[in-house]
Amino acid sequence: MLSRILAFLLVSSIPIAAPAQTARQEKAMALPAGVSIEEATISHAGNLVAAVCSDHSVRVWSIRSGELLRSLNEAKEPSAVQFSDDERSLAVAYDIRAYEKGAIKIFDVNSWQARHDFGDGPPVWWLAFSPDSRHLAGGSEFGAYVWDVATGKSTNISPPFGGSALAFSPDGTRVATAGPDGFMRIYDPNTGALQSTATLGTLLETMTLAFSPDGKTLLVGGVDKTIRVIEAASGKISRTIAKQPGLVWSLDVSPDGKNAVVVYRSAESFLDVNHLERLDLANGAVLTDFKKPGITIHGGMFVSDHYVFVVASANQLILWSIP
Amino acid sequence: MLTRRDILQKCVALGSVIIATQASLEGMLAAFQDHEKQIHRPTPPNPLGPFYKRLAPVNDVLRAPGDPGIPLTLSGQVFDTRGDVVTDALIEIWQTNHQGYYDLDGYRYRGKRQVDKSGSYTFDSVIPGHYPDKSRICQHVHYVVTAPGHTTLITQLYFATDPVFEGDPVKNYARDPLIQTPELIRPVVLTGDPNEVHAKVTWELCLERL
Repeated sequence: MLSRILAFLLVSSIPIAAPAQTARQEKAMALPAGVSIEEATISHAGNLVAAVCSDHSVRVWSIRSGELLRSLNEAKEPSAVQFSDDERSLAVAYDIRAYEKGAIKIFDVNSWQARHDFGDGPPVWWLAFSPDSRHLAGGSEFGAYVWDVATGKSTNISPPFGGSALAFSPDGTRVATAGPDGFMRIYDPNTGALQSTATLGTLLETMTLAFSPDGKTLLVGGVDKTIRVIEAASGKISRTIAKQPGLVWSLDVSPDGKNAVVVYRSAESFLDVNHLERLDLANGAVLTDFKKPGITIHGGMFVSDHYVFVVASANQLILWSIP
Repeated sequence: MLTRRDILQKCVALGSVIIATQASLEGMLAAFQDHEKQIHRPTPPNPLGPFYKRLAPVNDVLRAPGDPGIPLTLSGQVFDTRGDVVTDALIEIWQTNHQGYYDLDGYRYRGKRQVDKSGSYTFDSVIPGHYPDKSRICQHVHYVVTAPGHTTLITQLYFATDPVFEGDPVKNYARDPLIQTPELIRPVVLTGDPNEVHAKVTWELCLERL
């Protein structure tokens, strides 16, 4: 009898079709003692990583060599960083007056000189370049804006409560925003004109959105632990992937459009952002599951067929990848 | 409706106010307006945070009978930067329960109300808990205040009694990375006997005119 119980326990403890933790640590960059990572981003081609650090500097490393390429110190508190897709520019947003005023500088990645300086603007906590680098979108809970990079002219593209998440379409002709107000809006970045509005059907805040590679659909996720698949042209919700294991904090779609990588924020321990899954978008199945206590995931990028993501752990910036 | 600038200009024109200095009328008006703006500084903003939930009920009694935690009364008045009472403001608040958890499924500890004719408001609630992850995010209540003709105020109220401040919020406010000014930290008045403590916090809110 005992052997039967042991056999049952043994069999029942074997995970059946459970996703494996196949993440691999790629590189670790050390930070000075007492310095931690607050925000981080990886360049589109996967060659560079930049981080807003707790000492108010922005550090940039080569992913290949791990070498620290630059530490930008502007005597202002940085709030967000983003590379242009061609890796020639790095946009840094700064807080000028907390939650009220912000500024943006765009640095040349080779000379590290500020090529553009958009001062005295709105607070910006998120940034996104258009694929052709002609436009830069930025926003916070207080609204979203698009800057014409060449002229520095800014256009307000969403009301307060509407700009927590934003993304450009792959062809750069549209920029989508969403936030706590329950709507997703699509704008023309050239004119700031509202093109369409979709009702998301959630009472809770939308935290992230991402276009599919063909630009036809958008994935939208947020605090209600649901991913909505939305037809970009009609604004119609074509599918929902509900009951996610945490608040949907960031979303990236694979280059073939078949998978998505989702970073979750814990619903129980609010400051924990240490869980990531790669999902099959056809059926919602979990292909890869990564969860590691004591770290903070700062999002990542599909580089070829792998997803490379940034993790902050103590005073290290660590790059992990999942197939 | 006449602005204060209009009224002052009229008074000067009618001779009921005499400019008895060497300064020009325009200079005096500018100085007057600068002074007016400084009578009340707008309440500093603070992040909305990710746990806002739309369509909260009209309700200013957020504490149900028997709820655990220290009962809390939040009250105050809404003004504009000139010191005039704002009588048509809508105040929405939300917070965690006493253990630091937000209700994402329902509307516990979420509610909104119009101010009364004197611009006053009161909410009955409990002192919110710290987040359960032992972070340095202090106990707080979220506020969104809207009023026609005024900028929407998104902010948070913090409690001077929060142990994170170790009794000195002016010195230690920055221990919470989201608090950029001690103006958001309010004194707490405790009443009642030790077995039935009740906390009262008043907060006068100041909105910027559009």
